[in-house]
Amino acid sequence: MPVVTILPGDIEIEVASGETLAQAAWRQDYQWPTTCWGEMACMVCACVVRDGEAAAEPASALEEGCIAERMPRFRQLPGTRLACQLRVIGDGLVVEKEGVRPPVCSA
Amino acid sequence: MSDNLARKRKSAAAVPFAMSEAHRVPKERYYDRGFFELEKEKLWHKTWQMACRLQEIPRPNDFVEYEICEQSVFLVRQADHSVKGFFNVCPHRATQLARGAGSFPGGQVTCPFHGWRWNCDGESSFIYGEHGFAPECLKKEEINLRECKVEVWGDSVWINLDANAGQLKDSIGSAAARLDDVAIGNWRVKWWQETILNANWKMAQEAFMEGWHVMRTHPQLTLGAGEATPPDSLRYDTYPGGHCSFESTVLERDYVNFDVMLASSQLLADGLDAMAIDRDMKVLESIRHKLGPGDSIREAVAREMRAYNEGAGIPMPAGIENQALWWNGMVFLFPNIFYLPMYGNSLAYRIRPYNNHPEWCRFEVWSLTTWPRSYPQTRASLKGRFDKDDADNWPLIPIQDFSNIERQQRGLHVLGYQGHRLATEWEAGISNMHRELDRRLA
Repeated sequence: MPVVTILPGDIEIEVASGETLAQAAWRQDYQWPTTCWGEMACMVCACVVRDGEAAAEPASALEEGCIAERMPRFRQLPGTRLACQLRVIGDGLVVEKEGVRPPVCSA
Repeated sequence: MSDNLARKRKSAAAVPFAMSEAHRVPKERYYDRGFFELEKEKLWHKTWQMACRLQEIPRPNDFVEYEICEQSVFLVRQADHSVKGFFNVCPHRATQLARGAGSFPGGQVTCPFHGWRWNCDGESSFIYGEHGFAPECLKKEEINLRECKVEVWGDSVWINLDANAGQLKDSIGSAAARLDDVAIGNWRVKWWQETILNANWKMAQEAFMEGWHVMRTHPQLTLGAGEATPPDSLRYDTYPGGHCSFESTVLERDYVNFDVMLASSQLLADGLDAMAIDRDMKVLESIRHKLGPGDSIREAVAREMRAYNEGAGIPMPAGIENQALWWNGMVFLFPNIFYLPMYGNSLAYRIRPYNNHPEWCRFEVWSLTTWPRSYPQTRASLKGRFDKDDADNWPLIPIQDFSNIERQQRGLHVLGYQGHRLATEWEAGISNMHRELDRRLA
């Protein structure tokens, strides 16, 4: 399974085939910020690709359109992707995303 | 008169346009708004109904919405692969939570209005703005999603909106057993599409409760025999609970002519892509030069089908070829679903009111088949909604059926028409359905 590295915490998340980065995080009980949970409505899950772009499936026209229409202009940095849409095809992808937290261990 | 009988008569009389004679159906049952409203309240809100095929929600968090008149529920696959059904409404301000089909990423059902959330098992997982509510407004049992009754049978999910409903098998058991005998649980979707018809849901489905319309509606299937085609080549049965069936009599008589049998199956493969499919045609064609004088065609078909299925890894339970339904037939499960099995395949129909209107219905058609065990299980989805006469998207046989149904609905309103008169021999299933409907409406 491809592994994605998330900066700044160097968190590594395994992504299964067919699922998106955010779905993989949620499935494994990571916190990945969102309010719409995969509907491409809130833009809260967005991350920025920092390295290994070839390991990511390119954004669909729909994803690009939603980012252009719904994300504040100042946040539309080069390499911005919606984690709820981001599918991974190989190792080496590095993205930056504030607010990703590993699973909380129950004592 | 006993008290029981008196009560029975009184309640029967309370149903408007009731079936006072078994073989006559009052026309108002197909268009009267009051009758339609009674059906909603007493039938659709209380009956078991097929809501989706398991194949529509193969993975955890997959969901599909099911609508019946104004009611909407959604079915969700759980982490343990069981299925739950929920009334499709946010307890805050009524927003519909699920639309169409999809999956809930992260296992969160999310209200698009204020972002309240639930786990896929219906338990509230987040209430945005919770501190702005009086505590009695947010009682846990009122905020969790409300479940409807769900049972699984025939690779499908059945729901009942009535919390006091009995079990599914008590509703469909007697006729459903016939489908278990032809391994309904092995059938998967080959294709699935729908049309909208300007006809009452019962008018539409009654067209499929008998086989003797074939002579005029589907003349190609008579292979030129025309009016000489016997109308009584099928065995008809009715069951308690409004169900009915017909089936081939080939087990009693065998096929007379190999070429006729082959041509009939080829018409189904070409004209329907269901019941007989290309795979079956290859097997049937392979028999022609194996038959010796006096050999039973039926036995040869059963033998070669079994040999092919075993070689291909297609499940074929022992002795299934001794079921008349395996050769061809129909089982109708009250109130609105049909299966037409043949050779490990089946055509299936589900008919529902459309747009909350007594004279419109939504008609879905499935071609089901038994795939080799090694085939991957893919998510089944509706191919589309196509016009009833769209020859690019509907096979010939359903186009022929659809064309009559709307003409019947028009005819109902013609002055002097009182209602249907039914053939005792071949249309008892229609009467049986209407009389069960009256029992439900009483």
